[in-house]
Amino acid sequence: MHIKYESFVREPLVDGDKDYHQVSEDIVSPIERKPGRMWYIGFIFSIILLCFGIFSVTWSVYWGLGTWGVNRTIGWGWDITNFVWWIGIGHAGTLISAILLLFRQGWRTGVNRAAEAMTIFAVMCAGQFPIWHMGRVWDGFWVLPLPNTRGPLWPNFDSPLLWDVFAISTYFTVSLLFWYSGLLPDFALIRDRAKTKLRKRLYGLASFGWTGTAKNWQRMEALALVLAGLSTPLVLSVHTIVSFDFATSVIPGWHTTIFPPYFVAGAVFSGFAMVNTLLVITRKILKLEDYITIGHLEAMNKIIVLTGSIVGVAYLTELFMSWYSQAWGEMEAFKWRIVGPYWWSYWAMMTCNVVSPQLFWIKKLRRNIPFTFVMSIVVNIGMWFERFVIIATSTYRDWIPGSWAYYSPEWPEIGFYLGTFGLFFTCYFLFAKYFPVVAVHEIKFVLKTSGDNYKRAMLPHEEQSLEEFVHEADSHHGHEEEHAVAHH
Amino acid sequence: MSQKQYWSDLEDRRNIETQKEIGENEFKEELPFDLSESVFNATTPRRDFLKFLGFSTLAATIVSSCEMPVRKAIPYAIKPEDITPGVPNYYASTFVDGGDYCPVVVKTREGRPIKVEGNELSSITRGGTSARVQASVLNLYDKARLTHPISGGKEVTFDALDREIKEGLAGKNGYLVTCSMMSPSTEEVLKQFLAKFPGIKHINYDAISYSGMLQANEASYGKRTLPTYHFDKAATIVSIDADFLGTWMAPIEFSKGYAQTRKISAKNPTLSKHYHVEAIHTITGAAADERATCRPSEVGAVAIALYNAVNGTAPSLPSAKLNKMIAAAAEDLKKGNGLVVCGSNDMNVQMVVNAINNKIGADGNTVNWVTTSNTWKGIDKDMADMITAMEGGQVGVVMLHGVNPVYDHVDSKRFTAALAKVPMTISFAERMDETAQKCKYVIPDHNYLESWGDAEPKVGYYSLMQPAITPLFKTRAFQDSLMSWMDAGQTYGDYWQLYWTTQMGGQANFDMALQSGVMEPEKMPNGAATFVGNVGAAIAAVQAKKAASGLEVVVYQKVGIGHGGAWSNNPWLQEMPDPMTRSVWDNYLCVSPKRAKQLGAELTGFSEVDYNKYVAKVTGANGYAVNLPIIVVPGMHNDVVAIATGYGRDAKVGRAAASDATKGGKNAYPFTTFNGTNVEYYSNVNVVKVDEKYEVAIIQTHSSYENRPVVHEFTLDEFRKDPHALQKERGVEISHYSQEPWHEGHHGEALATPEMEDNFREKGTLYPNHPYEGIKWGMSIDLNTCTGCGACVVGCVAENNISVVGKYHALRSHEMHWIRIDRYFSGMPDDPDTIQTIFQPMLCQHCDNAPCENVCPVSATNHSTEGLNQMAYNRCIGTKYCANNCPYKVRHFNWMDWNGADAFKDNIFEDGRRDDINDDLTRMVLNPDVTVRSRGVMEKCTFCVQRLQEAKLAAKKAGRPMMDGEAKTACQQSCPSDCITFGNVNDKESEIYKIRRNEQIERTFYVLEHVHTLPNINYLSRVRNTAEIVAGDEKKDGMYAEHI
Repeated sequence: MHIKYESFVREPLVDGDKDYHQVSEDIVSPIERKPGRMWYIGFIFSIILLCFGIFSVTWSVYWGLGTWGVNRTIGWGWDITNFVWWIGIGHAGTLISAILLLFRQGWRTGVNRAAEAMTIFAVMCAGQFPIWHMGRVWDGFWVLPLPNTRGPLWPNFDSPLLWDVFAISTYFTVSLLFWYSGLLPDFALIRDRAKTKLRKRLYGLASFGWTGTAKNWQRMEALALVLAGLSTPLVLSVHTIVSFDFATSVIPGWHTTIFPPYFVAGAVFSGFAMVNTLLVITRKILKLEDYITIGHLEAMNKIIVLTGSIVGVAYLTELFMSWYSQAWGEMEAFKWRIVGPYWWSYWAMMTCNVVSPQLFWIKKLRRNIPFTFVMSIVVNIGMWFERFVIIATSTYRDWIPGSWAYYSPEWPEIGFYLGTFGLFFTCYFLFAKYFPVVAVHEIKFVLKTSGDNYKRAMLPHEEQSLEEFVHEADSHHGHEEEHAVAHH
Repeated sequence: MSQKQYWSDLEDRRNIETQKEIGENEFKEELPFDLSESVFNATTPRRDFLKFLGFSTLAATIVSSCEMPVRKAIPYAIKPEDITPGVPNYYASTFVDGGDYCPVVVKTREGRPIKVEGNELSSITRGGTSARVQASVLNLYDKARLTHPISGGKEVTFDALDREIKEGLAGKNGYLVTCSMMSPSTEEVLKQFLAKFPGIKHINYDAISYSGMLQANEASYGKRTLPTYHFDKAATIVSIDADFLGTWMAPIEFSKGYAQTRKISAKNPTLSKHYHVEAIHTITGAAADERATCRPSEVGAVAIALYNAVNGTAPSLPSAKLNKMIAAAAEDLKKGNGLVVCGSNDMNVQMVVNAINNKIGADGNTVNWVTTSNTWKGIDKDMADMITAMEGGQVGVVMLHGVNPVYDHVDSKRFTAALAKVPMTISFAERMDETAQKCKYVIPDHNYLESWGDAEPKVGYYSLMQPAITPLFKTRAFQDSLMSWMDAGQTYGDYWQLYWTTQMGGQANFDMALQSGVMEPEKMPNGAATFVGNVGAAIAAVQAKKAASGLEVVVYQKVGIGHGGAWSNNPWLQEMPDPMTRSVWDNYLCVSPKRAKQLGAELTGFSEVDYNKYVAKVTGANGYAVNLPIIVVPGMHNDVVAIATGYGRDAKVGRAAASDATKGGKNAYPFTTFNGTNVEYYSNVNVVKVDEKYEVAIIQTHSSYENRPVVHEFTLDEFRKDPHALQKERGVEISHYSQEPWHEGHHGEALATPEMEDNFREKGTLYPNHPYEGIKWGMSIDLNTCTGCGACVVGCVAENNISVVGKYHALRSHEMHWIRIDRYFSGMPDDPDTIQTIFQPMLCQHCDNAPCENVCPVSATNHSTEGLNQMAYNRCIGTKYCANNCPYKVRHFNWMDWNGADAFKDNIFEDGRRDDINDDLTRMVLNPDVTVRSRGVMEKCTFCVQRLQEAKLAAKKAGRPMMDGEAKTACQQSCPSDCITFGNVNDKESEIYKIRRNEQIERTFYVLEHVHTLPNINYLSRVRNTAEIVAGDEKKDGMYAEHI
């Protein structure tokens, strides 16, 4: 248990009258019940999307990437846009679980499980794009540095695309481990509560024989810290490396040193927005309003306004630098980006990412759930456009005007994107049904300091004058001391 | 070791032990097998044995039950003489299509012609080719060719057919209509045939006719012939609506000559001066120094104005620019060595032009009346008379060879109706074209690559044609048909051989001539002719014509498709972007930007990227109306619209040519008119925008080069005054990086020199420099002589098995051409006379610091020790990262299965029009030395690496270093203007070395040099013999300022 007293000024992290059992009951019972109608509708809809995605991908693998709109000039379009977008979304989970853990942010307990799950699903979605955008996907394994009989031929370690392979696979692995190790005590809880044999068996397997001994806890805590330590640089490195795909190139609009921090800020920005989108729905459907409180959402919104502003500064810096460099390639690239045939994507990005999040400076709006939900969608649309702007509107009018072109997606590209939503939500629905969406053991960990009822129990103390409190505390303390002495 | 070991020296003694070991082992290096004891001594227990047995049985079952693909390969059981598999044979022959002529060398592999090159021994074309010549080899393998003779729609044998026709011919009156023919032996055959059948009259007919010129020359000089024009001798060239570099008369010959006067260097800063007046915008107009526009109906007035100007009267045309230009042109023409050409088909206009040439002393100098040209012969009136005769029922037989009047005659409706009245109609068409369909007998002729033949393009200049392959189908030479009907008792081939052996006096001479392909006099005789024309009457006749008002349509030929014919069905040509519009697979209505605005189809920065174009309805005076998409072409006269010929073809012409409402364009010929003497290729039309859109595949959407240092242009005066301007400009960019940052000195003020380039190469990067010893390939492209004709594009397609993608993918920018010709306009869009146009061939620059190479995750693209940026197709996984990072955007991805080379079944992309390219027959054209790339891999220009290897190997076998000029790229070889120089830059004797280091050092530049990609292709700046360069001047270059 948290051995700290939390000020009354701080909002409770768990609302309502809760004890440990109630927490288990609230969070685990949806898993034990049959899912509701909304779940079925959502799940089936996701499966349909997923199937459409699989169909689209199969179509483009069979017929070729000419079924997409990308072309000689704009070699990457929706595919890599979506890749970067999904990867960015994943960042929130890691940030919450790793960096906030290291910074001992208690409020992360309510949201970290779902956010980490989101990370893993988002990385899974992201990974699809670099795979299926390959012309000869069946030879795609050549990017792996495996011993082979082809010479042996090795991948080109100079290529940022190869760095991506390492960055993303590492990221996925660490995120998965982190997430799963946190799930162990909760799986054990479900196992212990299970009334059917099958459930007992499966959750028993999934919990790796967790018994809840002190040693168990100690090892898990240690592992969590180690993985948090590993994940923390990953939060920064993954999107940095993704940004290298562009930053190391020679295409104006890509070739810029600001990209690593800019990408990371953008990633966190979009990730938090996505977490908000998911949590607003999840807390409603699974009736977890007591655990995912408005306070949580507000904290997230604060990060959104911060990162949104960082991103805005990055956009303006880019503009400034293109003018300050007086390099014609740079200046022209930004001119065509802003006023060329793709002007609408630039302005969509600016509006959604820079202007609209500024509304979160207003506390009322930060704590308004429908507004938060709408903003979370707006931010993700904006961030999608940011990636599109970077990728497509840099290449479409690059160095040689004779090769300029335009690009609009074809149905298999759109289908592929929708398919990743299908994959994401299929996973998320399964997660919401079979996994505790809030980390039960972590909630219990903060319950007695940050739970509403426990805080309320402290109310008499809060109302005491300082002298009274000191007096009471002293006598209490003295009493304990006496006791200890007697024991000795 | 019982035996004694002897050693011969100390070294041997030391090695004796190790040597022994090496001797015993078959392989020098350690084998990567684990041959340890455990493997050899392992016992296989019964159960494992059964497991292995089970597995292998299963595996064998699976493998053997898979269907093995049937491979079609026929081994040479008995090796044919002359054919060594893998070694090409070359045959000198002659390309002839009507009056189009080019002596060629045909490359055959394993008996199949796969490539056509210009014959360098010809002093007329000097090795040059055109896009059509390059594409002609594909016509041989055209699936739409007729495979057998037809009588009344049914297949028949030649014997039966001959019997029937011989009976029918006897005593009949009729006509034999051929395209212009320049074959002396065929003429001899014709003479005999006509002697045998005196009732039959021979007339020439050309879809695009030079009748006006022929008649004017007859009236002026008493010779119904075309002269030879010596563009190479001309200091002043005035062209009035003659697209002599693209489509007029003999473009290959003219391009060669013209290019000689357009070569410029700082040591010899002279250029010819080319004035050009035209109604539409052609590549010749783009090459011109001064260009102005007029209506097509004003061409006569312009000619008269020029005539008056050379006679001292100031011109008074409505256009101020024209007046100024004509006055200046007249002044220059008077200085001597002038040449005036005119594209009009009005004999009176041509008469005026003759008078000008006569006046300025061009006759006998730049206009050669002694060695005249035999290219074009058709007289429009003959055809009109024939139609009248047919209508009158006086014609018993009509034979048509190489002509298609049902499609391309000015009054095809009348012709078709009249033809129906003729009892016996014979076509020698090689396909069921529009006319052949109306004929009773169709006796398909050979392709020229299957034929014996000859040509006399100019008096005294001969060129032989020999088959490079046995006829693929049951076809017969046109001459053979005639000979069998007149019972000549021999084949044309025999007759032909006899004819030439006799002409040349012996077999040895004949053999030699056949090998070299051409026979020419040492020096071309030149001379004048006496001008006897009545200019006054001609001028009066021209002026009597009513000046046109309203919109006029010009029926023009595309550089690729030309007049139509078989070319309409040639996928290579259909996919060759038109130099001016950069569009493929369609014809359309070309309009000026101002006209487009009036029609509501304005070209803006936003509409230029939209391939859905507005459609206009064009209605001619005769009621003929077509709906065509509107394409904006800056530089067109504002009151002129233009439609290309060769489209709107019948489905039987072939799948690529077939047209309907959704594809294949519209026929433009019905917009031509007949003035009683000549066909005129323009008429008045009414154009209205209709509520419809049509997709046009435009390869290049943006037309301004945005004042970027991608191309460099100077005026002649600027270049003379300061030839080093470009070097200075480059110096500003690169001198900073050609020395250490701390180095003191003139940053950015020095001239860019080869030494600075070397320093820039080394110091412009943090990475170590790769030295290139031995061969290092380099290319130089002269922007001053490039006319944009597209011969290199098609030459590359033929050499490198470039896939045809079809319209649907072309409009999605999925085209595969390794070399493209970017076309940039500058000037004010509303004023066509201000437009300056430049072409820039763009291909893989083979950067020594290639951005594509380092980003490939699997090193599929890498650099050779000879400076080539090479692609390992097998290794490519298709991430397209390289294409994104290519600043020149010259890498092309195989978006679809274009050719069946991938492992997936039945997934070849088909659009109905390009599909024949994958037919077994058509695939015979593939070059076996070049991989056919499969779907999903990136490809790009290789500098024709197969040719480089061949040249190196030949030199190696001969035991000598490779000489300059032995390795030629396909684009270089096909160029009719010699723009491309290629060679080893490490060879100090090489042309390319001399250009870069010495001769053209002032004009040399590299595209995007400052990016430090270190390209191996350099360009030479364009120098215009004009007053100013408008590009990049915001006041004068609206293309740059307006088009956002």
